[in-house]
Amino acid sequence: METIHLKKTIEADLTFSQWFKNVYSAVKTTFIGLAITFKYVWGKDIVTIEYPEVREELPSNSRSRLFNDAENCISCLQCAVSCPVDCIYIAAVKRPTDAQKIKTKDGTPIRLDLKQYTIDTALCCYCGLCTTVCPTECLTHTTDYEYASYTLAAMKYDYLAPDIRAWRTRIVKS
Amino acid sequence: MSTHNEHNENEDKIILGDQEILKSDLLTLNMGPQHPATHGVLRVEIKTDSEIVVEAIPHLGYLHRCFEKHAENLDYRGVIPFVDRMDYLAAMSMEWGYALAVEKMLGTEVPKRAEYIRVIVAELQRIASHIVFFGTYAIDLGAFTPFLYVFQDREEILRLFEELSGARMLYNYIWIGGVWNDITDDQLKRIKSFIDRYEEDLKKYHSLVGENRIFSDRTANVGILSQEQAFDYGATGPVLRGSGVKWDLRKNRSYGLYDKLDFDVPVGEGLKGTVGDCWDRYHVRVREMFESIKIIRQCLDGIEEGPFIGKVPKIIKVPAGEIYLRTECPRGELGYHLISDGGKTPYRLKVKSSCFTHVSLLPILAPGQMVADLVATIGSIDIVLGEVDR
Repeated sequence: METIHLKKTIEADLTFSQWFKNVYSAVKTTFIGLAITFKYVWGKDIVTIEYPEVREELPSNSRSRLFNDAENCISCLQCAVSCPVDCIYIAAVKRPTDAQKIKTKDGTPIRLDLKQYTIDTALCCYCGLCTTVCPTECLTHTTDYEYASYTLAAMKYDYLAPDIRAWRTRIVKS
Repeated sequence: MSTHNEHNENEDKIILGDQEILKSDLLTLNMGPQHPATHGVLRVEIKTDSEIVVEAIPHLGYLHRCFEKHAENLDYRGVIPFVDRMDYLAAMSMEWGYALAVEKMLGTEVPKRAEYIRVIVAELQRIASHIVFFGTYAIDLGAFTPFLYVFQDREEILRLFEELSGARMLYNYIWIGGVWNDITDDQLKRIKSFIDRYEEDLKKYHSLVGENRIFSDRTANVGILSQEQAFDYGATGPVLRGSGVKWDLRKNRSYGLYDKLDFDVPVGEGLKGTVGDCWDRYHVRVREMFESIKIIRQCLDGIEEGPFIGKVPKIIKVPAGEIYLRTECPRGELGYHLISDGGKTPYRLKVKSSCFTHVSLLPILAPGQMVADLVATIGSIDIVLGEVDR
């Protein structure tokens, strides 16, 4: 047999005058609250964005869908190294010496041929560390959103595939 | 077989105050882990005798992500996105504590402008975090309207953070040595107009919720945490201050720019009931928002031009040694114990979270309460399960 002692919640003694005071304060504070809420009924702008019809434009440095402009990529692997969840897969081979010399947009010579550049966005945590280390600024976060897909495989973006390269005109600014 | 009505001499006795209450088989009830009032995935196993809670045992671990072990395999910059995910309602404050710990070991000088930006974003984050408390606590007690009002203001803060860092919740904004992006004059102006407006609105919201008779009756004299109990269980932050202890790390163990800024530390005074009840913890948080506004206003006046990130090596290698650094987060004291062996990754990163200690208060606060008061108590200690489980 065990006896459990519980603390009792403190309750003030209720006198006759206190009862009226309680009623008064309850009515008064309720009316103060109602006065505040009634101000919101009229004279306040609507703050809800009615989403499918009205689309919010994200700020320019919003960290949304990743896009790698493969033409400007020099396969330096810095993004893959800095990624805390290791979701960037890169394969590159050395460019033959007799091949035509090509450069990125900002003039960096490309010495490696990019064979694979895949980001598994299902793993990605959108921290933005890969975009900050990119020396040619080809890997960027875009402001594109809504990209749910039915399969996990569809979330692996192969940035050398023509359909994903076609995004460039749509989601990359300037 | 005995029925409920039969009195058995050998059964347990439950004494509430000085009277013996109905004794029968205690009903074991699981509150959570998918209960809206537990603010996340906390499971509280409660033993009740009719409406009265006899025992409450919190069960943790539903959100455990192995952060501390994982951090040992990440470079020092890569830890920051994971630090965000601990207390996801106050990610800026989490980042700041970690950045301070690494900077202190590296001996990095943080530029003055970065210090100001850090204080501004951390205090805005404190306001945003307390707004979530304010809104959800009102919902817990049956008032839905204040939630919608205050979240409009939170939206404004989050929009600003999104423009600064690019994300709405998990910012990765405060970096080792400074901050990621600079703040523009336009954004500073917007912060100014926001805090001016919000200061007036907050007074209105407080008279709508805190002064309301129903709210104060539900929270006053409920879940009283005495000063001794708060010390015994290691409570920090608004929970400790609600019990009437004037202790704030920003004031007492100053870091950042806080020693140059003028602000008060609000403590619970027992205006509606006893010192240390749920209403006091609520009131401390509301007054902390006013203090945060005061701090931001001083920072907006004092902010200097200059670089926003200091000189940090490309590959951070922290010299061997260890540090324990604690900061004042919206929910209480956050401590990082960082041990380094001189490599690229931390050797050990232990996090002392305030929410974890506050969850352990439940077994002493709950017995003797009604089930509905337990909801009020859980709401008033304001836990985030991401930080409890890590």
